[in-house]
Amino acid sequence: MFIQVKQVSFAYNVPFRNLADVRIGRDDYGFSLPALSLDIERGSLTGILGPNGCGKTTLLRLMAGVLRPQHGAITIDGDAVDRIPRRQLGRRLAIVPQETHPAFDYTVLEMVLMGRHPHLGTFQLEGPNDYAIAAEALTATGAAHLAARSYATLSGGEKQRVVIASALAQQPDVLLLDEPTASLDLAYQLEVSSLLTRLNRNRGCTMVLATHDLNLAASLCDRLVLMRAGKILAHGATTDVLTEASINQLYDVEADVQFHEAAGHLTVVPIRRAL
Amino acid sequence: MTLSESAMLPLDARPRSIRIRLAVTVVAYGAVALVVCLLAPLVGSTSISLARAFDRSIPFADNVDAQIFFVARMPRVLAGAVVGAALASAGVVLQALLRNPLATPFTLGVSAGAALGAMLAISFGAAMTLGPLSPVPLASLTGAFVATAVVYALATRPGRPMSTSVLLLAGVTLNSFFSALILFVQYMADFTETYRTVRWLMGDLDVGGFGPIAGVGPLLAVGFGVFAMLPSSLNQLSVGADIAATRGVDVARTERLAFFSAALATSAAVALAGPIGFIGIVVPHLVRLMTGVDHRLVLPASALFGAAFLVGCDLVARTILAPVEMPVGIVTAMVGAPFFLWLLVRKA
Amino acid sequence: MAAREKSLILVAALSVLIACGTNPGGPAPQTDDIVARRIVSLVPALTEMLFAIGAGPQVIAVSSYDDYPPETKALPRVGALMDPDVERILALRPDLVLTYGSQGSLEAQLASAGIRTFSYRHGGIRTIFETMRDLGAATGHTASALSKVTELEAQLEGVKAKVRDRARPRTLLVFGRQPGSLQQLYVSGGTGFLHEMLEAAGGINVFADIARESVQPSQETLITRAPEVILEVSPTRQISAMDAAQERAVWSPLASVPAVKRGRIYFLYGDYLVVPGPRVGLATETFARALHPDAFQ
Repeated sequence: MFIQVKQVSFAYNVPFRNLADVRIGRDDYGFSLPALSLDIERGSLTGILGPNGCGKTTLLRLMAGVLRPQHGAITIDGDAVDRIPRRQLGRRLAIVPQETHPAFDYTVLEMVLMGRHPHLGTFQLEGPNDYAIAAEALTATGAAHLAARSYATLSGGEKQRVVIASALAQQPDVLLLDEPTASLDLAYQLEVSSLLTRLNRNRGCTMVLATHDLNLAASLCDRLVLMRAGKILAHGATTDVLTEASINQLYDVEADVQFHEAAGHLTVVPIRRAL
Repeated sequence: MTLSESAMLPLDARPRSIRIRLAVTVVAYGAVALVVCLLAPLVGSTSISLARAFDRSIPFADNVDAQIFFVARMPRVLAGAVVGAALASAGVVLQALLRNPLATPFTLGVSAGAALGAMLAISFGAAMTLGPLSPVPLASLTGAFVATAVVYALATRPGRPMSTSVLLLAGVTLNSFFSALILFVQYMADFTETYRTVRWLMGDLDVGGFGPIAGVGPLLAVGFGVFAMLPSSLNQLSVGADIAATRGVDVARTERLAFFSAALATSAAVALAGPIGFIGIVVPHLVRLMTGVDHRLVLPASALFGAAFLVGCDLVARTILAPVEMPVGIVTAMVGAPFFLWLLVRKA
Repeated sequence: MAAREKSLILVAALSVLIACGTNPGGPAPQTDDIVARRIVSLVPALTEMLFAIGAGPQVIAVSSYDDYPPETKALPRVGALMDPDVERILALRPDLVLTYGSQGSLEAQLASAGIRTFSYRHGGIRTIFETMRDLGAATGHTASALSKVTELEAQLEGVKAKVRDRARPRTLLVFGRQPGSLQQLYVSGGTGFLHEMLEAAGGINVFADIARESVQPSQETLITRAPEVILEVSPTRQISAMDAAQERAVWSPLASVPAVKRGRIYFLYGDYLVVPGPRVGLATETFARALHPDAFQ
């Protein structure tokens, strides 16, 4: 087991009370995630699939250490995420948010170099090695030609590639991605998709991505976690988990799941709303 | 290409290492600041002889040229340099904190609190001093600290990160509220006191010696010290809070440090010389145009350029209508506003 | 009686009735011959003048800032320069209101109510005398106003005589600065009654060449002008002997200024020093005593 989520409960707006008298499972505080457990295998490309609001992003942010659970713990390779010093954590995992809108007009190279932050001391500036790693990350994401461009002027797909490159520059063991293709055109969706597959295979990077896109999950992920209302409905290999029954349970939708020869993976075609 | 020009190349050129760029930036802006600060005491409404000023054989107390140079002009230039540096850097930090390039050091109500404190001291003849701080700067600091505390309390809850949108709204609201109080105090006060308060609001770098500067010196030192720790974190923060957090930035702590250091530096600057506007927004923007947006370059460059800018404006203020002096806040506004219009036109 | 005679008497009777019907205490007709009996004064300097020429009993209300002479403290207040209470003024039914020159809209309002106004004129010592004479005429105290003016002129001449043959020190006349610092200095320029008082008291104003009443000099200008005496005038803050040393210390950074070197910095307290009114003679004498102490042994 590489990443372990052990009985994690999380609520966003916990009022100031003694938490000792809160028992796991009680819905008093409206836990977004009540007592969740999950294991992610090293090197896997796991998709967390579910409708909007099911807690996918919350789970991702918990895994990244951005949020702290009220109960339970998350470990990476045995180390509790909230005990790992921040910079060290940044060397082990990286997050690619759904959208990235910097407040200032950074260039692509500056964005990617910022990924080197966890490897630098407090006042240390990037050196030749850091520049090399950044260049390599840009090449891997096919964005090297954009290096001198202003990030704000890029297209959606280009922006995503740059953000992925900046995450790669952290040289993480784990990459967490939140709806990586949500706002992209079809061509870019395929591009980013194949990029992620390549990265997973060539670098052995463990990836966890949150999505509501069934076909993306089917094409990209080898393992799936189906989530609804903060609870896990199913977890396992994509081919085992992605069935018509589970989709019905997840989305209240009747769908047709078929293996598509040309695409080489399962495809999902929604038919009608379930009654 | 000269050294200073190459530092100001747009980033279309082949990317040069940050280490070189930082060195070049600091040297270039530092040179500008140094030149301006060395030239400024030489110029003024009275012409003096530099040779006489440095003539050791004349006793200092009798050497009028030396008196003018060292007692009248040097403190003024020093005050201009530190106030300019403080307001420019505070502007940069607040723009990063609020993720908004239009934020100024006065956005969060600190200067309104400072102004109210000063108004009350001037109108009611306060007499309390603290070390080298005379009553009005002391009251101004108090007002600024109160405003800072109120805004902070409104924008934070224990255990939750600072809400920058609440911060902004609280600051704007406090500005309006304090401005109304200031008008009320001015109205209730004696006519001559009211004029004095109005005059204070225009800014004045003629602080009357090194004492007042020493009074706010420790605050400025702390402010600048914290500023020095922030740039790298501010870069990360301005891309996104989650990304910054997963790269090792303590987001809550960085935001708190940014807020308090900017508030402290602004409080000290306003207590010393009154609220001098436009520096906190003109200087960072100019610097970003010339040097890019990396805070590790922008922050030191803004501090240095802010110093040069304010000392330059004060030079104009005290010589252009000699022997009458213009309040320096008017000069910064007259330079700043057209610059802004030009920026807007350029962007459109 | 014939019908024609009856109607004449009727018309005459009606005219008398109409004349009597108008309120005797009401607004006076617009002629200068009428003596003002109910005076409202918004200007403290003018209030002082009224009391000095014997018109005190005719004053029915004063401004918020009046406190001299002591009789004014008992009188009702009607606001001042920024906030004159028009309703209150009208309710008092005055026949003369003393206003500031800038209170144009107030004067217009009073005029439409038929109330005479007298505008305060800003100026030097001569203006003070002129104003006192004019007030004397308006209040029926022409003689006493004239004698008061003569008295003041004599007082001033007396002071001038005492300091006539003495060296006149270059003087800085400060009437405002931020406490504890040299910032926001307000000094007298070359016009106005403060300047004239200083000159009459045997001093030379270092800013005599600047044709303004108030100047805000920079530190540099102070060093350049190098006054030999500094007079700090405060209407509200009395400096005790203890504080005087502290206040002198505030000037010490300007070491080359002769006044600082020789310690000739004097703190003068009293509102009579800054009010251009009948106590101007006393004020001038106070200045003279500070500038030429040995002339008054």
